[in-house]
Amino acid sequence: MPTTPPALIAVPDTLDFGNPPAPSAPAGRRWQPQAAHWAALSIASLLLLWWALTASGLIAPLFLPPPQAVLARFGELLAGGYMDATLPQHLLASLQRMLLALLAAVVVGIPLGIVIGVFPLARHLLDPVIEFYRPLPPLAYLPLIVIWFGIGELSKVLLIFLAILAPVLIATAHGVTSVSQLRRQAALSLGASRWQLLRHVILPGALPEIITGVRIGLGAGWSTLVAAELIAATRGLGFMIQSAAQFLVTDVVVLGIIVIALVAFALELGLRQLQQRLTPWHGQHH
Amino acid sequence: MSLLQVDKLGVTYPGQSQPALHQVSLSLARDELLVALGPSGCGKSTLLGVLAGFIAPSQGRVLFAGQPVTAPGVERAVVFQHDALLPWLNVHDNVAFGLRLQGADAAARERIVADTLRLVGLADVASKRTWQLSGGMRQRVGIARALASRSQVLLLDEPFGALDAFTREQMQQLLLRVWQQSQRGVFLITHDIEEALFLATELVLMSPGPGRIVQRLRPTFNQRYRAGEDVRAIKSDPAFIALRESLLHSLFRQGHEEAA
Repeated sequence: MPTTPPALIAVPDTLDFGNPPAPSAPAGRRWQPQAAHWAALSIASLLLLWWALTASGLIAPLFLPPPQAVLARFGELLAGGYMDATLPQHLLASLQRMLLALLAAVVVGIPLGIVIGVFPLARHLLDPVIEFYRPLPPLAYLPLIVIWFGIGELSKVLLIFLAILAPVLIATAHGVTSVSQLRRQAALSLGASRWQLLRHVILPGALPEIITGVRIGLGAGWSTLVAAELIAATRGLGFMIQSAAQFLVTDVVVLGIIVIALVAFALELGLRQLQQRLTPWHGQHH
Repeated sequence: MSLLQVDKLGVTYPGQSQPALHQVSLSLARDELLVALGPSGCGKSTLLGVLAGFIAPSQGRVLFAGQPVTAPGVERAVVFQHDALLPWLNVHDNVAFGLRLQGADAAARERIVADTLRLVGLADVASKRTWQLSGGMRQRVGIARALASRSQVLLLDEPFGALDAFTREQMQQLLLRVWQQSQRGVFLITHDIEEALFLATELVLMSPGPGRIVQRLRPTFNQRYRAGEDVRAIKSDPAFIALRESLLHSLFRQGHEEAA
């Protein structure tokens, strides 16, 4: 193979003026990290840190069990179970409560939010009630719920329902009131009745905010799960974590936390997908 | 025969001492394109709001075909500057929206929508979502939606105010074509002097404090355009420029009186 003669003056292949690469440059030649890659990196780092801390013996397993112990516990709980129920059974019990509470919150919260958004009188009447209970920690009114509604499923679902309800209500009411005045007026001048205005203009316009409210509500619901399962539960992820905590079985506690986080994240991703599908205009300039 | 009749209209907003509109009288016939020109605060948007039925008059009255206007109605369709389109519907369904609300027969509706889309040059993008369109195209959808409804008068609230100069000029020509073919009365408000002069068959110059009409003109440039003259030739005609400067002068003089 003939070699190229040495250049008299060294000329670099490309002169770098600090310009960004031209948009016509073939894309994909240089690998660009995506959002998902950064997320994976973040999780991997956390796992690595967890493993390093436990493997080095700096932290006793009682305080933080090593990842492999949690993984082993996972396998054990899939088949054998903890506190008379397998992990899938605990998960199913919690999911049932969550979904029941979510369904109730959507069925009650969206119509009530619309009423609050449409009628100022309803807002004046209900706003103090919502703002009264919303900031209360669920554990604070848990005893009352038990006294009033007993220790059955109803009380557990009710506690989660109340946590989901407030964000759904507030987001729906806000979504309804923030539908643009111009859009309402244009629809009226096209002959819309009050009902048609609500059905064809206000509700679709409020939909992105309603779904955001459900997303936030679901997060609030998960955060009350442990409190709800303090009420004489025999199954559920929250119950499993509490029982394990009483006997200092830290690896079950960590396992329960991870399972809740994963399931909650999966539901959140599903809702994001739904939002993108139902309201693709959301976030677009229009 | 005038469709819209405005007699000594006055509007005072609650808590305001100075009226937003004072002693405004107008009439709009089916073949007219009436333009209200004025700076911000001159009451032109309030005037449009009263004609549309969004704002109630404090004095005087507004009649449509002899009947007092008290609420929004399908015979008076509004087009806003910032599109009030429905982003969850595609272009076709936005244009069909009025007829759908009114419960029009589906076959008739489809025919009207197809004709209207063709008239404003949107036939090719009928299935696009409105948020995928440019500003000029979105305004075409707004105009088409107002046309397809059973409107007899179009009320345009600074319809081209947010568009670039080139698109704006295209849209002005489109509006003239639509106005001519659709046989509707058009009432348009703007703060763009050239736009007002080019489009209007009747032009009212409005002034703030209180909002009122200070000058009335009957420009002829609209007719010259329809007779086939080129838009740039019209807008650079000395007669056009002289009127433009005279109106600009009036506006400045008002501004000085305001400041004094």
